[in-house]
Amino acid sequence: MFELFKLLGNKRLFVLLVGLVTFIALMGFTLGPRTALSWPEKFLKDSVGFVQYVFYKPASAVAGFFKDVANMRAVYQENEELRIAMGHYTRDRLKYNEMEKTNDRYKDLLQFTAEQRNRYNYEYRIAQVISANSDPNSRTINIDIGENADIKPGMAVTSQEGLVGVISHVSAYTSTVNLLTSMDANDPNSNAIAATAVGKEDTVFGMIESFDPKTGMFKMTKISEESDIKKGDEIISSGIINNFPKYMRIGEVKKIEVGEYGLTRTATIEPYASFLDWKELMVVIPPEVKE
Amino acid sequence: MVTRKQVLFLLLFVLFIAEGTILPLLIPSGWQLRISANLVYVVILFIAVYHHRHTALVLGIFFGLLHDVVFYGEMIGPYGFAMGLSAYMMGLIFQAPRAPLPVMVTVVILGSLLNDTMLFFLYKLFRLNHVTFDWALLEYMIPNLFIHFVFALIIYTPLRKQLERIGKRKSKVQEAS
Repeated sequence: MFELFKLLGNKRLFVLLVGLVTFIALMGFTLGPRTALSWPEKFLKDSVGFVQYVFYKPASAVAGFFKDVANMRAVYQENEELRIAMGHYTRDRLKYNEMEKTNDRYKDLLQFTAEQRNRYNYEYRIAQVISANSDPNSRTINIDIGENADIKPGMAVTSQEGLVGVISHVSAYTSTVNLLTSMDANDPNSNAIAATAVGKEDTVFGMIESFDPKTGMFKMTKISEESDIKKGDEIISSGIINNFPKYMRIGEVKKIEVGEYGLTRTATIEPYASFLDWKELMVVIPPEVKE
Repeated sequence: MVTRKQVLFLLLFVLFIAEGTILPLLIPSGWQLRISANLVYVVILFIAVYHHRHTALVLGIFFGLLHDVVFYGEMIGPYGFAMGLSAYMMGLIFQAPRAPLPVMVTVVILGSLLNDTMLFFLYKLFRLNHVTFDWALLEYMIPNLFIHFVFALIIYTPLRKQLERIGKRKSKVQEAS
């Protein structure tokens, strides 16, 4: 060992090399899916998360107030639009209630199992954002619920506008959300989301695979040539793979091109979620499956 | 004052918290995706120049790892590594207790470029980012530089005074012993 020090000339270089190897090993070890965090990580996350919660809440209230004042003019227009939407909603509700009842009756007649019946009865849990990481290499945000609210890695997180991200790590009282902006086809950690268009669930199918930070758009690939996907279609998740929930609003089709090998099409999708000014989010909890 | 160091450390922690909570709300919406200010790192650079590079190394690794664990998205380690090593390297080259303002500003600019570049290539190494370096440089590294520059100008006078007081006490203790 002593000869090695002499060989290297000084101790500093040796320490640097050991540090380098340690850090690369740490990164390699923590990369990739981990089922649970170790207790020091949980402790740090929870205690820092609590302090962040104390700071974020009043700050976001103040920021929200100034924003509201600035947007005073837009409020009138928004109110008008909301009134129209409300009218649509009350009309549709009558129709929906009746249809749901009919549907339930058919399910009874066809003897659906409980699992089949509850497959899409998702529970939405409100969460408060406590901090945001603005690192462009991996964007994450922290929310104020964790294991105490049965949150598990892999659950979808959505805002009022649309799908925002996926839970990546959970500690006792906080959890981290990996935003969809870090999604990429070459990334071993991110899974593609199966998607379809509203009203064309039987004909349109594709995979939301990557997010392009340069344009701020998603790329939906593997759309069959026969599908009648059009510009302006509303894209939602179809929930057919990876237990990813159904009916998550993702974005609007902006452009359709011929895909890589000319056999499929690729659509460019503008996300509904803005990925800015975080407040409340909703975590989608799938119904429990009995084994 | 025995507690000056501890108070400075606590203030640094508060700055770390503010960076994740208050700062994103202060930045206008149009710039939120472009600015990722690392204010704690600027303070650590001050410590590297006016105090000692070893303190800066330890603080860089500590706050970097804290950042990594709290915002654990992909992996733990890149911030701890990049902040620690780049602060140490800047301290190794520029450590001078009497460095004037222009030198300090240069250190802040070079240091934050070094830190962002290191982070970029660490993520590149694990194939987690897929943009080109020149795009990243124009998109967020240079806007970041301006924020760090302004922040360095704001904290220059008070922070330097505090660090000099800590330094004086240290040298007195050394003389006495």
